[in-house]
Amino acid sequence: MKILVTGAGGFLGKVIVERLLAHGQTDLRAMVRDTAKADGIRQIAAKYPDATVEIVAVNLRHPPEIPAAIAGCGIVIHAAAALKGSAAEMFMDSVVASRNLLDAVMKAPATRIVLVSSFGVFGVAVLDRFAIVDERTPMEERPENRDIYSHSKLRQEQLFWEYRAKQPYELVVLRPGVIYGPGGGHFSTRVGLNMFGTFLHLGGRNPLPLTFVENCAEAIVVAALEPTANGEVYNVIDDDLITANQYLRLYKRQVKPMRSIKVPFSVMMLLSKVVERYSTSSKGQLPAVFTPYKTRVMWGGNRFSNAKLKGIGWKPLISTKDALAQTFASFKAEPPKLK
Amino acid sequence: MAQVQELRVGIVGCGKIADGHADVLKFLPGARLVAVCDRELLLAEQLAVRAGVPAWYDDLEAMLAAENLDVVHITTPPGVHLALTRQCVAAGAHVFLEKPLALTAPDCAALIEAVESGGRRMSINYWPNFDPPAMELKSMLTRGTLGDIVHIEAFIGYDLSGAYGQALMGDPGHWVNRLPGKLFQNMMDHIFNRIVPLFPSGEPDIHAYAYKRRAAVMGNETDKLLDELRVVMKSGGVSAYGTLCSHARPISNTLKVFGTKNTVEIDFNLRTIILAGSQNYPSSLGRLFPPFEMARQYFAQGQKNVVAFRHHEFQFFAGMSRLLELFYGALRTDGPLPISYQEMLSVAYVMDEVIAQVYPATKGGAA
Repeated sequence: MKILVTGAGGFLGKVIVERLLAHGQTDLRAMVRDTAKADGIRQIAAKYPDATVEIVAVNLRHPPEIPAAIAGCGIVIHAAAALKGSAAEMFMDSVVASRNLLDAVMKAPATRIVLVSSFGVFGVAVLDRFAIVDERTPMEERPENRDIYSHSKLRQEQLFWEYRAKQPYELVVLRPGVIYGPGGGHFSTRVGLNMFGTFLHLGGRNPLPLTFVENCAEAIVVAALEPTANGEVYNVIDDDLITANQYLRLYKRQVKPMRSIKVPFSVMMLLSKVVERYSTSSKGQLPAVFTPYKTRVMWGGNRFSNAKLKGIGWKPLISTKDALAQTFASFKAEPPKLK
Repeated sequence: MAQVQELRVGIVGCGKIADGHADVLKFLPGARLVAVCDRELLLAEQLAVRAGVPAWYDDLEAMLAAENLDVVHITTPPGVHLALTRQCVAAGAHVFLEKPLALTAPDCAALIEAVESGGRRMSINYWPNFDPPAMELKSMLTRGTLGDIVHIEAFIGYDLSGAYGQALMGDPGHWVNRLPGKLFQNMMDHIFNRIVPLFPSGEPDIHAYAYKRRAAVMGNETDKLLDELRVVMKSGGVSAYGTLCSHARPISNTLKVFGTKNTVEIDFNLRTIILAGSQNYPSSLGRLFPPFEMARQYFAQGQKNVVAFRHHEFQFFAGMSRLLELFYGALRTDGPLPISYQEMLSVAYVMDEVIAQVYPATKGGAA
């Protein structure tokens, strides 16, 4: 059975291709938007000479390009999404692109779609602090109060359920937490923010919903190939999670020393109220980058469960301790950023 | 205080610039954004949800029929401005358009004709010209501070790796890449709308020169995009240079007007307007004073900006707020429009001529 991976040139997509090959899949199609990103896939494919990894360049904004790209695929793992850009661009590349993909899949013979969604879709602002977030946690009801990425990922996932309500098809949804690894970002906003050269440490003792990129890709592949996963949602987070405090401390020790200021949650809530109020009273002169709602979501703190994912046989390939050591070693070896 | 008639406003075209319009409308007294439209319904929906707009559509005709709009902001690519304007006017709405007004000068003329013959009114989003320093320049010109204008230099920088730049460089099919004048056509309104109003009437001489400075070859349509533009113009006794520059840093946005009495420079990014220094006293001693005089002017401008900030008048799109206040005011009172139709047509004429000179192969072509 041929398996298509969209966003295959991305940070996560490449590793999904690798894990599929490691699971013995020999017939893959890797979809990239920009062929410049195909080299990484070719290097991975070279390690599996018995497998066929076809690379196709498709812009999912353009519907006519899609039918040929999905033809003959029994599973589509949809990992393509926008991480940055204006709201319109992010919606084009995450939501409109998904709609175009769904329209094409609905016309094709039975295909299972595996959607890489996000922790961002949860409506955690209404939960108590340190409540457990699992697959039963309700989805966000106030996306306008969230950041554009979470809003676009929420709308994307809703779209897949809406289509499924209209025309049944096999759908598996995975909601990864913070995906990290070599080549990825150094800090999730859940740890804190760099403001004018100083790192504001906002996460405190909150557990971080981390998932190492290989563990995450493994989860996606296990769920994609699991016959009973149809119609199910799986949160993707690793075992032995550390807190934001611990992450920052390890980072300073293993990557580079840096100045940080710890801002307690109560202070951040107060600051957020002031920023939100000022933004409104000044007619948008300064944007409401912090609001009490966003602060509760990002730094209120939750606990997490990966029990459901383990129930279908997933286990982390690499422990959090080793994954962090590997990641921080690669961060340390990165050349300084050129501006 | 007299009750201001609240205008019902709609937006058609929910791309990035529509966010700017929605942000301004959120705080503009006497107007309410009641509906948005995009042929891609998901884009209309996301803007409506974020901006708290109650209705969204993927069909302009449906929005016009249901919403009884006083004004429609047309924020689509320019290729459809003319057709959408006709639809809005037929439904009784005034229009406020993003630049460029249309693909060609004849289309601009047809658009204005459609608005006038339909008994409606229109304006275009030349917002930097309504930022406080630009308003101050208008006042200086009225007072005769500069004397007669001799020469004008308008310079705008562009960042090909910025948010807008990446969008068009990363997608060969992006609508800007399909414009006959490509990037220049989407940007040069902001050069010529600063020059043309200061020119004597009549068609100016125009000599344009453009080239591609970046070395990268992508192997697609974006390779045809020129990124540096220089234009020399003359009309009567007034000359001008217009520059669009994608490589110089920092990315500047300036206008310098040389008069027979004084020379003044606006920096749109810094929001300053400064009269050129000159030596009023003889000898080396005389040369000591002008830099201090310049410093005094910058200090005063900084103070003015702080006051504007304190009064909550220092938004990024402060100029758009001002322009819309004037335009909506003109609609309510049937008073004079903030930008004359003749000015729009003159800008369109210059743009056509520049495009014909720097992209001769696409002359008369359409997007």
